[in-house]
Amino acid sequence: MAENKTNWLGTSVKNHSYVLVFLLILVVYGITISLTGKQFSVGHVSSILSAQNTVIVGSMAIGMALVIITGQIDLSVGSALVLTSGVTACVFNMTGNPLLTLLSALACGALLGAFNGVLAAYANIPPFIVTLGTMLIYRSLALWAVREIPQEITGSGSSQFALSRDQEAYEAMRNVFGTGSIKILGFPISFTTILFVLLIALFVVICQKTKYGKAVYAVGSNAKAAGLAGIRVKRIQASVFIVTGLLVGIASFIQVCKIGNITPASSGRSFEMYAIAAVVLGGIAMAGGRGNMLGVLFGALSYTAIDIIIVSIPALSVDIQDTFQGLVLILVILMQSAGPILRQKFARLPRVAVRAD
Amino acid sequence: MNILEMRGIDKSFTGNLVLRGVDFSVETGQIHALLGENGAGKSTLLNILAGVLPADSGEIMFDGRAYPNPSIQLMEKAGIAFVHQELNVVNDLTVSENIFFNRELTHPFGFLKTKEMLAQTRELFDTLDVDIDPKAKVSGLKTSEKQLLEICRALHTQAKLMILDEPTTALGNDEIDHLFAILKKLKDDGKSFIFVSHKIPEVFALTDAYTVLRNGRLISTGITKDATPTSITKDMVGEKFADEDLYEPRPLGQALLEVDNLSGPGFSNVSLSVRKGEVVALTGLAGSGASELMQAMFGAIAITGGEVRIGGKRVSGQIPSFMRRHIAMLPSNRKENSVIPDQSVLENEYLAQHAISTGRQLISKKKETARYGEFAQALDIKAQSPDDAVVSLSGGNQQKVFLARWLNIDAEVLLLDNPTQGVDVGAKEEIYRLILKLAEEGKTIIINTLEIPEIQKVCDRCVVLYAGEVVATFEHEKINEHDVMLYSTNAINVVED
Repeated sequence: MAENKTNWLGTSVKNHSYVLVFLLILVVYGITISLTGKQFSVGHVSSILSAQNTVIVGSMAIGMALVIITGQIDLSVGSALVLTSGVTACVFNMTGNPLLTLLSALACGALLGAFNGVLAAYANIPPFIVTLGTMLIYRSLALWAVREIPQEITGSGSSQFALSRDQEAYEAMRNVFGTGSIKILGFPISFTTILFVLLIALFVVICQKTKYGKAVYAVGSNAKAAGLAGIRVKRIQASVFIVTGLLVGIASFIQVCKIGNITPASSGRSFEMYAIAAVVLGGIAMAGGRGNMLGVLFGALSYTAIDIIIVSIPALSVDIQDTFQGLVLILVILMQSAGPILRQKFARLPRVAVRAD
Repeated sequence: MNILEMRGIDKSFTGNLVLRGVDFSVETGQIHALLGENGAGKSTLLNILAGVLPADSGEIMFDGRAYPNPSIQLMEKAGIAFVHQELNVVNDLTVSENIFFNRELTHPFGFLKTKEMLAQTRELFDTLDVDIDPKAKVSGLKTSEKQLLEICRALHTQAKLMILDEPTTALGNDEIDHLFAILKKLKDDGKSFIFVSHKIPEVFALTDAYTVLRNGRLISTGITKDATPTSITKDMVGEKFADEDLYEPRPLGQALLEVDNLSGPGFSNVSLSVRKGEVVALTGLAGSGASELMQAMFGAIAITGGEVRIGGKRVSGQIPSFMRRHIAMLPSNRKENSVIPDQSVLENEYLAQHAISTGRQLISKKKETARYGEFAQALDIKAQSPDDAVVSLSGGNQQKVFLARWLNIDAEVLLLDNPTQGVDVGAKEEIYRLILKLAEEGKTIIINTLEIPEIQKVCDRCVVLYAGEVVATFEHEKINEHDVMLYSTNAINVVED
């Protein structure tokens, strides 16, 4: 009985190590806060939840997780965010209709994702190469468009796409979808954070309770066997890019509402890497086939927390911050991959034999 | 003199005893068969010998030296070479580069002595009577040639004892003969071998001595020619073994599956009509097109002509269209083509059902578990829980899960491609029984296999293919090893010439 219990604990810890990673990072955060002489409070935690990184990068990371579970990769999400945000802002400036704006964000994101998916799955080009190409294409299109399209439509004269203040719905867009929040247990939680958590919940259900979800994992685990069991492998492989595109659409909508604008030359840079980092911190295997969607929530939170910690250390200049983000990422992965090996070496825990038969 | 003596080897995993005081010795210049069902402890014993796993207790003496703490490097240096069942050759390198892999001959500064390595490879191949071009890319070799390459590589390390783990699974009969000739020659030169195989005839054709393990214990050991296939099989499977004739004639239904002038990659103009409830074997050596034909009957490879009909209606399109018409295929090479390694037994079983019922997306785990329970009972799947990882099951039980995968979508026609591959003797017997039971229930079954005794056991009819064409058909009582081989090797035509 006792043995069973420890086993259960052991497997839970192993399957949900991303929670531990997050808690560890929170402790480090707490220490850095108290070192600066302030009191660590729940407010600090809720600020992680509401941060732009958590919601925008996190939403895209959900799609990235699906793509990675099928054994593929999407490097274009940062650029797709910029282009989709641009389209979203333009549609708002032309129509002033929030619903149409949202639909255009979703449609544009899905279209960009479909382009990736069709090339990767049906044209047999490695996803890494396809999305490397579209990463360049999507951002360059945004850069070109922001200069070519008249200022009344882009909403800004300074190489930006921005929501136009002339539209009647401007205030509503900014206040509700951007900065709007409700108080939960006395702490303000933004609507976008709630949306992100709902998205996570939706995808946890999709992954664990639907046939589509199971097929996504099966394709990532053994595509050939999945195909021979009747799964339409290429369709699944393409679909995860489209789902990612839809999520990029949601992230774009949040971006233009929350920030009010997007700058093709600088916004969303390296977001694909941040999304991958959140997925990896969330314990999803880069080789595909394994991982829990709930991990993406914690992965995104962990990533934001690391970001906030590094920014809050005054001694670190902006230029060196990425170095530390990179180091933390490598460290976490090292813990995950080296952990089991070290345990084997030192604790002499039972190992699985190499089966000859 | 014994080159190897292992005494009192104990080994346990998480408190599970997998080896209990096993003694195992191999004489110098002997080919020694190590036999036992999956899970008998063969792999563990060999992994201990090769230094992959530490033993809990026991002694290892090799070539006159004791090895209290064997490691992989140490045992390799001592002269033990492990040729694994899964081929470990590097496909993108040449044959000669593979022979010298990690032991390259170099000039100072690390430049390769390519010519010298080629010459040495040639010399090695000449002495062994191996006909492979040392300059060829390994990716272009046949599986059998890759297997030979691995053995040559082991020989090139000056190994004294070679462990061959099921070296014949991927080979055709001619190739097996060739391999055995080489092994016998090497034996005469004083090399020793441990030979692991599930095929009893091979044991008698090749080996000098044998050792049988069962449930981690040494059951019997001795000189091969003093034993009989029945005695060895009994030792392997214990009480449950009964080599009885399972086959009984059954009434057959109307023609259900018809293949009309079907052509595709590797086969041409094949016509075949199979009745409901019939069990038909397709057989033929590697390259006969039997496996490709089977895949075409499932929509897994594109056909170039002809058609497949079920119940008189044409089936075309891709795999899901064939599945909706109740055709199912259990592919060969389970690990590569059936297993979803990261998913549970239940998820593996339900994969096909999920694939063709995408209209209703939500899964009821309760319902699925209940239905799995029915199949687990009917097929006698031995798994502690449907949530266990599928890879934790033995080969035979995995195969039953994949059979359940198809029964779960009410498959009427079951195409079984080499269904007992890598499955141990006891589980093979179980699978034969299942096949007959399913036929009894009215399922139509086509089996592609090279094992003629297997065909004799279960099939109503045997269709022999050679070079992509049907060359002979035998009714059940006419199926015998000699005649089938005559046609599948095309020897019949040689005789006539």
